[in-house]
Amino acid sequence: MRRICYAAALAASLFGAAIHAEIDARAIAFNCLNCHADSPASVDTSIPSLETLSREQIQQALLDFKYDRKPATLMPRLAKGYSDEELAAVADYLSRD
Amino acid sequence: MAGLSRRRFLQGLAGVGAGVLGGCAGLSNLTGAKAHVVVVGGGFGGAAAAKYLRLLDANIRVTLIEPKAKYITCPASNWLFAGLTNLDQLTVDYLALQDKYGIELVVDSVSSVDAARRRLRLTSGQSIVYDRLIMSPGIDFRWDAIAGYDQATAEQFPHAWQAGPQTLLLARQLQAMPDGGVVLMAVPADPYRCPPGPYERASMMAYWLKQHKPRSKIIILDAKRSFSKQALFEAGWIKHYGYGAANSLIEWHSLADNPLLELDRQSRTLTSEFGDRFRGDVLNIIPPQTAASIAVQSGLSDVGGWCPVRPLTGQSLFNEFIHVIGDAAHYASIPKSAFAANSEAKACALAVASLIHQKPVAEPHWLNTCYSLITPEHGISVAGVYKLDAVSAIMSVKGAGGVSVRNDDEAAALEADYARVVYRSLVADTFR
Repeated sequence: MRRICYAAALAASLFGAAIHAEIDARAIAFNCLNCHADSPASVDTSIPSLETLSREQIQQALLDFKYDRKPATLMPRLAKGYSDEELAAVADYLSRD
Repeated sequence: MAGLSRRRFLQGLAGVGAGVLGGCAGLSNLTGAKAHVVVVGGGFGGAAAAKYLRLLDANIRVTLIEPKAKYITCPASNWLFAGLTNLDQLTVDYLALQDKYGIELVVDSVSSVDAARRRLRLTSGQSIVYDRLIMSPGIDFRWDAIAGYDQATAEQFPHAWQAGPQTLLLARQLQAMPDGGVVLMAVPADPYRCPPGPYERASMMAYWLKQHKPRSKIIILDAKRSFSKQALFEAGWIKHYGYGAANSLIEWHSLADNPLLELDRQSRTLTSEFGDRFRGDVLNIIPPQTAASIAVQSGLSDVGGWCPVRPLTGQSLFNEFIHVIGDAAHYASIPKSAFAANSEAKACALAVASLIHQKPVAEPHWLNTCYSLITPEHGISVAGVYKLDAVSAIMSVKGAGGVSVRNDDEAAALEADYARVVYRSLVADTFR
């Protein structure tokens, strides 16, 4: 195991740590929890829980917010900040079992 | 996907971390020692960084150093002036960070950073060695800005810009003020902690005065020409507090070309450069700010008083093993807010986990959302979505973010409710 790590580390250092990885959904999705962390499905709050939503439901909602098909006070302003691919990755990540 | 619990979601975070970084989990270097990340400061930045780092990789040892055993949140602390909350409700502890996430809490303050040896000396005399250091120490005040206003004087004329006894002191002064009294609020130039904070505070004070001392007045003396969410605040003040009329509960004056220079404690009078004199019954003087002194002493700040960082990783421009996040750091154009500190903390935690495992750092994304209450039923918000531009500087994504679009009663009531729910969520996401 240590040898594998060494090889990986060497490869990483050769290419330089500054090279960006591909879209990391976590980098976007972690920010969803700022507002949605305190909304377990069992509690009725005005900010919906993400727990019971499927990937398709989350992705559709995000796209509807982005393209002004679903009115809301805040989410349309946020969803416009991301590409459709990024929103799909976020939906995939947030719905992961 | 139905039934995905938050608990499982959080376990999922750890699982993903282990999956992505699995081959080298726990190696701080090629010798196999367990990586040790020390986080300085247990506010929204530091606590979130410590928590998310442990979620990303439970093999990283995380120590959080914070002088206070309990933390009183600045967010929501303005609501105390309207009687909507109290210090107990604003207080959080670090038990969950220790018990649920295995973070080692050290209740102490840092007296010096030996960056060459990657070692901290604490006030107690203890030394702590780190592989990587995340500094989230918050702000300190510049006591040289207004002659006659210093740390001791703040016990008489509170800034209340670090929530706690100062907040309570200011609230009690407001309550003790005679009807018809004047509250002076001195507001600094940008950048400072919580750009919309002074105007939410004025709103919350006006809400209370309107019920209890309606002949009173709050006079905001501002070093800026304009302020965060100005149009929304002013519309709300017109609606609720008579703004613009002679008997308005709130007046706002820009002193951008005529700064406040001096406080006379005896007469409770502030004097400006042109000799204008403002006398108040209650003085809330919010001084200009810098990064907390430990960051400045450690050579992490620049001439502006804040700590410049490489946005991709949060690494200090002056030391690659020290990351700086939160209000102390310069992440402009991201404002200095608790929400932003939490977002910076998550991006930093992802970067630190990658750096420890010598993996490429993923492109960071930051978010800011700040709600303010104008009355308990009238909320407004500003938001921003941020990422790196082509030269790895922070940019606000065009077409996204901005202030509340609707300002009707229904939207105002919704946003007032969201303000409370988001506050609770941000606390939970950071400390629990």
